[in-house]
Amino acid sequence: MRFLQPINAILVFLKQDARHFQIVFLAGFLLFGILQLHWDAELTRYLLLLGTCLGVQACFIRWKSLPWSSLKSAAVSALGMCLLLKAAGPGALVLGAVVAIASKFILRVKGRHVFNPGNLGIAAAVLLTGDAWVSPGQWGSGVALFFLVTAAGCMVVLRVGRIDTSLAFLGTLAVLEYFRTVLYLGWEMDVWLHRLSNGSLLLFTFFMITDPMTTPRAQRMRVIWSVAIAVLSFLLGWYFWINSAPIWALLIISTITPILDHLQHGDAFNWNAERSERTARNEQHQLT
Amino acid sequence: MHASAFCGFYVAKADATLFNDRSEVILVRDGQRTIITMSNDFKGDVKDFAMVVPVPTVLRREDIRVVERRLFDALDAYSAPRLVEYYDENPCVRFDLYDSVMESEMSRAPTSTGMAQEKTARKMGVTIEARYTVGEYDILLLSAKESVGLKDWLIANGYRIPATAHEVLDPYIRSNMKFFVVKVDMTRFQQSGFNLLRPIQLRFESNKFMLPIRLGMANSNGSQDMIVHAFTRTGRVECVNYRTVKVPSDRNISLFVKQQFGAFYKDLFARAHRREGRNTVFLEYAWNVTPSFSGVKCDPCVGPPPMPREFAEAGADWGGAATFYTRMHVRYARDMFPQDLVFQVTPNTENFQARYILRHPAQGDLTCSEGQDYLENLAYRRQRELGELNALTGWDVAKHQGYVNEVRGRLSPERRNNAVPFGWNIKWPGDGFPPSWPMVAWIAALILVPCLIRPAKRSVAVA
Repeated sequence: MRFLQPINAILVFLKQDARHFQIVFLAGFLLFGILQLHWDAELTRYLLLLGTCLGVQACFIRWKSLPWSSLKSAAVSALGMCLLLKAAGPGALVLGAVVAIASKFILRVKGRHVFNPGNLGIAAAVLLTGDAWVSPGQWGSGVALFFLVTAAGCMVVLRVGRIDTSLAFLGTLAVLEYFRTVLYLGWEMDVWLHRLSNGSLLLFTFFMITDPMTTPRAQRMRVIWSVAIAVLSFLLGWYFWINSAPIWALLIISTITPILDHLQHGDAFNWNAERSERTARNEQHQLT
Repeated sequence: MHASAFCGFYVAKADATLFNDRSEVILVRDGQRTIITMSNDFKGDVKDFAMVVPVPTVLRREDIRVVERRLFDALDAYSAPRLVEYYDENPCVRFDLYDSVMESEMSRAPTSTGMAQEKTARKMGVTIEARYTVGEYDILLLSAKESVGLKDWLIANGYRIPATAHEVLDPYIRSNMKFFVVKVDMTRFQQSGFNLLRPIQLRFESNKFMLPIRLGMANSNGSQDMIVHAFTRTGRVECVNYRTVKVPSDRNISLFVKQQFGAFYKDLFARAHRREGRNTVFLEYAWNVTPSFSGVKCDPCVGPPPMPREFAEAGADWGGAATFYTRMHVRYARDMFPQDLVFQVTPNTENFQARYILRHPAQGDLTCSEGQDYLENLAYRRQRELGELNALTGWDVAKHQGYVNEVRGRLSPERRNNAVPFGWNIKWPGDGFPPSWPMVAWIAALILVPCLIRPAKRSVAVA
């Protein structure tokens, strides 16, 4: 089966590090948006976000003598922000990117960073400058299937990311939305489907709240955490009429992540699964 | 095509067949305040006119106004897709460059006459919250407990409402919205001396910034068009639950399109609408129109810029403070637009206009060498214009080959058969490219600074 070798090589590459998978997919979505959905190809914006994130990460890598492979994390945050954050001027973008990356090293509790970097960067840019915004409608609802199938499919097949948070979040939101739109308000099913198939929501579901570094460590706590985000974003959206509510919900719920971690300990996440296994073995060896 | 029901539906008393094809709305958003002005391009007999619009609060008398139709005409003329003409100079002779402007023809054919009105005060779970007379209109603000009661009440009061309407009324009742019910008082309408129903303006405070389009689809078959003129203090308005995309703009098109610009834009819009999946909101114009701002407000302007008085009439009376104008065009149908349109105000102040360019060829003797180069380029250009025209509208351009050949005919025989060069006019994909110098400097700094930092003591943190 020689012809399968390249595919196999790609799969191995994607599986090797969850961030490979994220970078490939986020970049793919960005290209899709520009080419297919006719977004404004604001190359300056993308360059600025990517450059700033990588640059700030590089500063911290030098300062704290971290492995250079952690640049991948910055690339993931930057691409996520390219997909979600828009700004009228460069200042808001630079601020967002700097806050996103710096927060990973500064806002730490018990050795873990508290906020999802992209999430905090977006929030900082929107709240502090008033010059930035999020366009929840930019994906429309037509690409839902594309998102669901590719993202969820790959996550299951490649066992990367934390699909349990995605499923708990989306499942809870779907149930709440169903009660609100269909059962209570009396809209048809397609209104419900249209709300849930919003591309930005799915992007958030599969690429933002699955970040293993900022989700609670124990699975039970992760599910509780995801459900809390879903409930809060439902409330913010329906009762306070806040657009892109999930982003604000995640920001708020992130503050209790250390508490959830304290309640139930779980295994620390390491991007490179193989290497972490090796380290674990070494540690065991040293202990014995 | 014309006439409109906007967010509400027309409720006919006679068996008039009603189609809501096109409507216009002015939306002013300032903080939590929304001012909606709806144009009443009602097709049928004015005495049959009635409209139901869901509103978030019980409006006070002073929150309801009647404005003049010419407000819409002024805004429409100003922000409509435009055609601009340029004249090439003769490379063999020196000419002054000048340009002129042609206004787009957006057809509008409103009709309307008399109407009758009757009231019953019976309640079927329906509360009459308020009752006003504004201009030629009789206005009721209703709240209801359930849609069947509201439907029955409307029927009992002599309205004929679409069979499917009550299903759509329910969600609005459940959302605690009120119903703004409008009828025309024939006596006052005749006294007013107007031929047409004037637009109604509502003003309310609410955190909901949306247009309830679902009711308007209850008595319409197929798709309807709506033009939204939105004004904010900060920047563009965009749709939150549907995509907002720019309509194709800044394209060079063939000279013969001038005579049929209306048809051209109609076909262009229809094609863009289909290509984007029939579920998008199109941006047609976005510009800073602050009265005190002396910069260019359009290039070219197809109508005189709106006057401060017109902004005030639309509700954007901020005393000369920054005003941003967004014009959106949405063609919606039930299958592709299940949700009401929800909007948000963004800080985006990037200008945009739907603009199509005609370039007139140079006149006079073009036999000099530069003239022949020019003609060669002109032939290529016209070939591309035809391709562009076909791509934009789907028109069959094969029959217009003479448009290119007439230029070729003026070339000397040895030049006539030159091939069209490839990649004659490749543009960078983004408007922000190549990046400006501060941007380049910032990126260079981002690469250099990490290289200069000295590592601190070893740490085990993993990021």
